[in-house]
Amino acid sequence: MDVALRFLPTTRLEREETLDQGHELEAFLREVEKRAFRIAAMMIRDADEALDIVQDAMIRLTVRYRSRPREEWRPLFYRILKNRIRDWHRRRAVRNRVLSFFGGHDEDETDPMAAVPGPSEDNPLEQLEADESLAALAKALEQLPARQREAFMLRTFEGLDVAATALAMECSEGSVKTHHSRAVSRLRELLGEQ
Amino acid sequence: MSELRKTDADLEQRAKQLFDASVANLDGPTRAKLAQARNRALENARRPSIVATLLMPPRWVAAVGTVALAAIVVLTVWQGGGTPERPVEMAALNDLELLLAEDEFEMLEELEFYAWLEEQGELPQPTPAGDEVG
Repeated sequence: MDVALRFLPTTRLEREETLDQGHELEAFLREVEKRAFRIAAMMIRDADEALDIVQDAMIRLTVRYRSRPREEWRPLFYRILKNRIRDWHRRRAVRNRVLSFFGGHDEDETDPMAAVPGPSEDNPLEQLEADESLAALAKALEQLPARQREAFMLRTFEGLDVAATALAMECSEGSVKTHHSRAVSRLRELLGEQ
Repeated sequence: MSELRKTDADLEQRAKQLFDASVANLDGPTRAKLAQARNRALENARRPSIVATLLMPPRWVAAVGTVALAAIVVLTVWQGGGTPERPVEMAALNDLELLLAEDEFEMLEELEFYAWLEEQGELPQPTPAGDEVG
């Protein structure tokens, strides 16, 4: 049964509005979920954790921001996702500090290949090259400051315009332009393109 | 300069192509898990907020309550012989303002949300404070 059809109505008008919103939400989540997962997986290099983060972002959007205008969903969703990824990195940094203090090691080492997609059956060689290029890009992105990385991913991968990126990043449009421009420039250096 | 811009645009285009290809090649099990996650999120959207319904008063009640409590605190401080400008007392007033902020009501909804997650057996690890959205 279509989940969107199970939204509980009270009046007929409310039922129609709720159904519409449910369908819109479902379409929106369907549209962003795979891309959001890829971004999270590239940033934290752990597929299971990335899935949890994307699910959390989807739940938070639907619970807290579903009544916001439709055009705000995307930047709000990516703002939540960005904050969740940051939280994950903070928790991990704290855990690593505690473990190193007690002389232990992180048993939950992330898999560096987790961000790389599985082999394509169509053309394995071509896929391998693409995987290597993506891994190199992910590695270069990791070396950017967080704000530059966020600006690059939102503008380039997601195609958000400057205003939506500013909303997602909680900064001014001017800052977005600066972060993005510096990110591209730095990536060119890191990827040996200058 | 235009050459530089061209190469910048090339890099962005290649990066986007790689990213799009990685999304298109996402494996079946991951797609299925994402669909499950989406359905869970949509289930949440249709759940009525019990805590909000029972505990969240109308805005005017909250506003009157805020004013009344602030007046009580001011009177208590004043009758105690102090001046409200003293830092400790001003801090108390600020604390009161913070306590009565709307965010606190949002926190109740959060509690309900986490209670539901716990029911589902999927409670994530606690996250640090300071995260306004998300």
